[in-house]
Amino acid sequence: MTDGPKKIIKDITKGFAKHGYICSEQIATAVYLASELEKPILIEGPPGVGKTELANTAALYFKKEMIRLQCYEGLDESKALYEWRYGKQLLYTQILKEQMQEVLEGAKGLKESLDRLMKFEDIFFSEEFLETRPLLEALTSEKGSVLLIDEVDKSDEEFEALLLEILSEFQISIPELGVRKADVRPLVVLTSNNSREIGDALKRRCLHLYIPFPDAKLERQIVQARVPEITESMQIQLVNFVQGIRELDLKKLPAISETIDWAKTVILLNSEELDAKLAEDTLNVLLKHQQDIDVVKKEIPALVSSATETSDGKSLN
Amino acid sequence: MEKVLTDFVKALRNSNVRVSPAETIDAVSVIDSVGYEDKELLKRTLSIVLSKTPDEKEKFNACFDDFFSDEIKQQVSVDIDQLSDIKDVDSDLAKKLLEGSQGELMLSIADAAEEAEIREIRYFTQRSVFTRRILEKMGVGKLEDELMQLGSSREDELPSDFEQELRNQLTNLRERVSDYVQQQFLLHGDVSGEQLREQVFKSMNMAQIDRSYLNEVHSLVRKMAKKLANLHSRRKKNFKKGKLDIRKTIRDNWVNQGILFNLSWAYKKVDRPKIYVICDVSGSVGAYARFMLMFLFSLTEVVSKLRAFVFSSNLGEVTNDFKDAKLDEAIEKALQKHGGGSTDYGQALTDFVSLCVDEIDNKTTVVILGDARNNFGPEKAHLLKTIKERSKQVFWLNPEGKYRWDTGDSVMTKYSAYCTKVFQCGNIDQLERVVSTLLKTAI
Repeated sequence: MTDGPKKIIKDITKGFAKHGYICSEQIATAVYLASELEKPILIEGPPGVGKTELANTAALYFKKEMIRLQCYEGLDESKALYEWRYGKQLLYTQILKEQMQEVLEGAKGLKESLDRLMKFEDIFFSEEFLETRPLLEALTSEKGSVLLIDEVDKSDEEFEALLLEILSEFQISIPELGVRKADVRPLVVLTSNNSREIGDALKRRCLHLYIPFPDAKLERQIVQARVPEITESMQIQLVNFVQGIRELDLKKLPAISETIDWAKTVILLNSEELDAKLAEDTLNVLLKHQQDIDVVKKEIPALVSSATETSDGKSLN
Repeated sequence: MEKVLTDFVKALRNSNVRVSPAETIDAVSVIDSVGYEDKELLKRTLSIVLSKTPDEKEKFNACFDDFFSDEIKQQVSVDIDQLSDIKDVDSDLAKKLLEGSQGELMLSIADAAEEAEIREIRYFTQRSVFTRRILEKMGVGKLEDELMQLGSSREDELPSDFEQELRNQLTNLRERVSDYVQQQFLLHGDVSGEQLREQVFKSMNMAQIDRSYLNEVHSLVRKMAKKLANLHSRRKKNFKKGKLDIRKTIRDNWVNQGILFNLSWAYKKVDRPKIYVICDVSGSVGAYARFMLMFLFSLTEVVSKLRAFVFSSNLGEVTNDFKDAKLDEAIEKALQKHGGGSTDYGQALTDFVSLCVDEIDNKTTVVILGDARNNFGPEKAHLLKTIKERSKQVFWLNPEGKYRWDTGDSVMTKYSAYCTKVFQCGNIDQLERVVSTLLKTAI
């Protein structure tokens, strides 16, 4: 390793920005550590702050294949790890029956038949009949891959236990075939919305990154990167407005993804300036609960005026 | 350098961040690649490796700042030679402060601390004692006397540069020592203090817990509730047999040449329990209701439906308050709105029955918390009978000791006839046991 960690972290920040993902130093450090230590990384944070997007961008940045496993209640190994191709296997036994005739022809007595049978090559349990699922696919990928295990908190606790072997040893035991070990370790990203506490055993094997809502400066950069056609004053106003909303007591706070959606909406409507009417008309892009919309509606004049004021101050500087 | 890290891990553990040896090893290998030079980078890195929840991250940040705060502060040094007054003071400490290097000063703090037996520090409250002791050992008393003399002997109003400098240095020293003690406390202080406190809270009568400790008790209750939730979320996975799972059956039976020999069943999950809580929040038992509600609303993970009602004379539902607001506020609000007043169990039961008897089914558990002191009013126990017949079970929790039941205006026996089970529930330990039974039997 010739480059110092600081340089690499800077490179990651830049590289990610090229793919439209503006990350804080904390995020860049986490990505660096994950690739350096070859450890999985568990990302937590409110919905819409770019947890899944981080994995997507990491795949683009490291130029690796992206393999995604969406977790849900009832997800089990036959859907996550591997499964046998039962239909093909049944057909195989049919063919085998015919072949048997030839193999066993002329055999005398049960013992000889059995000997011949034993010598006969059996591929019933073999790679040919193995249907790989995301986890096994990630391990066997030759060029390495980015494995995204999305919303791991939605899965059952049993599934978490299943992940342990993969995450610490990067291997999977298939009873019929033995242990499959990864040649190139994938970069594993797990995300969680914290709907259920993740077990300590899993946490211990992972690096842990918490992504909070971004501060105004970072959010402006993100909006600029994602919606480049937006004017600077508009962008500042939007971000200030959203930051103001996050101070309020709401059921679901607007995340970055909502800010970006809103910016796109504003572009679509060809608006030049943020005013109370525009904010009120497009509020449903930002907020997803009627109660929240009602709360914010009352605050719109104050929010708009403070958002535009600060932006004036900024543009003067 | 690894000593620094293990010390830091120890400090983290003392501030309640759980760090496993495996994580410490990770941290060592991480430091190998990032090094100690850049403090910000180090902080970010260790935060990713060592702290695993948002809450822990916060504690981590505080602990990191505390632990690595001994960086030598840049100071405007005054040219000592110009200060002719130096002859006026002759205590060692003054000379050290003015002439010695920062390193020497730190060394003498450490020496004095050693003398003051800083290793013995155990509790949070001991910090100021140790700070004072160390300062005394370093001879601050003498320096202060000298400063007094300087102050009284001067003619002009303003203190001289020299005196000012000395005072600044002294303040600086105080801060330094208090930082040092804080650091040592993190290292040597014992978590047993906290454990001891938790133990006391658990076995203390809930009504006697002082309000100023509410926050701590709350976090304790949450911890216990989480433990229970973990325990019982596993239990709910005891499935019942349901329909035939044809896909799985075919898959499982290819070994039998496709003859369906072993049948597989699609499992049906058992519903999570519904719990209805009725709490007496009149003066005498209001304090208990607080903890009861605290406990139950920390359990939403394993309870699918929880409705809470409180009453003193009339009954009101408070479920929504708890869903929307923070727990503490909701409890305060409930107590304010419905608390006080004279208790009327008869009226409360009437209200409850008319409000939601139709919703009670054989999966519902009804929990009533109260001392059954009815002010000699009509107890209307037959209503409780109706509730029992419709529900899966009725629990009654009485915060009073058993020997006091049925004394005075208590009508416990009349009600207990229609309860599946009656518990005495005066402290948090007992409460935990009750809730555990509740979850066990309610499923």
